Amino acid sequence: MKLKKLFPILLATPLVVALAQSYFTPSELEAIKTGGKAYAEVFLNQRPDQALCSFHRNRLPADLLPQFLEEQRALIKYPASGKLMGDWKKGGAIFNNLQKANCFSCHFGSPVHLGGDVGPSLEKYGLKRGQSEAIQRYTYEVIYNAWAYFPCTVMYRFGALGGLTPEEIADVVAYLLDPESEFNTKPAVGSK
Amino acid sequence: MSPRVWWKVAALFLLALALAQGEVDPREEAKRQKQLLLETAGILPTELIVEQGKELFNRKGPSGKTMAECDFGLGKGVLEGAAARLPRYFLDTGKVEDLDGRILTCMTRVQGFRPDQIRRQEVVAVAFYIASFSTGKPIQVRLLFPQERELYTLGEKLFYARSGARDIGCATCHVTYVGRRAGVLPYADVLGRDKSWTHWPAYRYSNDQIWTMQDRIRACYGNIGHPQPNLYSLPILALELFMAYQNNGAVVEEWPAFVR
Repeated sequence: MKLKKLFPILLATPLVVALAQSYFTPSELEAIKTGGKAYAEVFLNQRPDQALCSFHRNRLPADLLPQFLEEQRALIKYPASGKLMGDWKKGGAIFNNLQKANCFSCHFGSPVHLGGDVGPSLEKYGLKRGQSEAIQRYTYEVIYNAWAYFPCTVMYRFGALGGLTPEEIADVVAYLLDPESEFNTKPAVGSK
Repeated sequence: MSPRVWWKVAALFLLALALAQGEVDPREEAKRQKQLLLETAGILPTELIVEQGKELFNRKGPSGKTMAECDFGLGKGVLEGAAARLPRYFLDTGKVEDLDGRILTCMTRVQGFRPDQIRRQEVVAVAFYIASFSTGKPIQVRLLFPQERELYTLGEKLFYARSGARDIGCATCHVTYVGRRAGVLPYADVLGRDKSWTHWPAYRYSNDQIWTMQDRIRACYGNIGHPQPNLYSLPILALELFMAYQNNGAVVEEWPAFVR
């Protein structure tokens, strides 16, 4: 009985991996190469998790979710100091920089820039959520690897793909959570 | 001041005015800006570029031939509705070509220019001119030849692909977050209601740029920190064919268009 249950899973696992690793066919990759070296490399080095999200058009089937979430969770690293809340001033500079983290483009709540509405509003996030260890950890982990909570979401995986260091992410956590942070003391641009 | 500089100043001024007035429907706003430019300058930048394109079209190349000797899909020299049927497979080159690519083919194979003699701005101007003959025409691209079907499949896959250090993908915003705003403008419903394929080639008044869809696709990638595909490359062509086919039947309101 146990074997019978396991068998389809064993059979399906390499299939999933095979699909995940070959979103583009070799001849399609040849065509993509005409786009130039830098462009092609991004597709030649497409990660298996990216391939999976591509293949399923950002909606993973339920049976793939447990393993996917576990793999994404395993990518999360923490600051050496163990502190999840850093310097809110440095965090603000990261949050409000278009080239750096570009958070404000999608999230409302910045006192510096008018925010977008692609992601949820973060207005007065720290005042609403408090600064418990649980909320610090949740905020840190979502910024580090959003796919560990929201598979295939549009939000950049800042820590997991190297956009921000663990320390920089802790600074952004502080910018959002610290009651002294201007994110919580100043009104959001566009607030009513 | 040269006309182009003047337009830049005027466009920036009008843009600042629009921003000061708060959020507006970008399409309505573009129409308003176009009307204002027309009233103040008496002629639109799009009309000027079309005129330039016409001159280039009728200029003789090293072979002594003008572009009227070229087939843009409906027969030698036939421009009426030709752009609305591109990209398509051409038997003479054995390749799928869009308007930009077909202009290159015409200039090299028929007019006798060397590839290094061809300036991008000239190709765009000719594209504006040829596209102007498709205003009011429905988009009609087909997937008849295997080359067309292969490129379409690649375009569809690229549209839904996630790639790069920011997990970028066209569909992630232009399907999932249509109407939501990241930055100034709401995400267009590229495959659906907005029929974005019909918006290019266009003059962008906010940046004083003349662009074909090739330039637009490159900017999409570039704006969000993803490496850009080369001009005239297959991934651009594939995305174009996919978008054009998705917008089949949509009537071209005006080519070249006038956009933000």
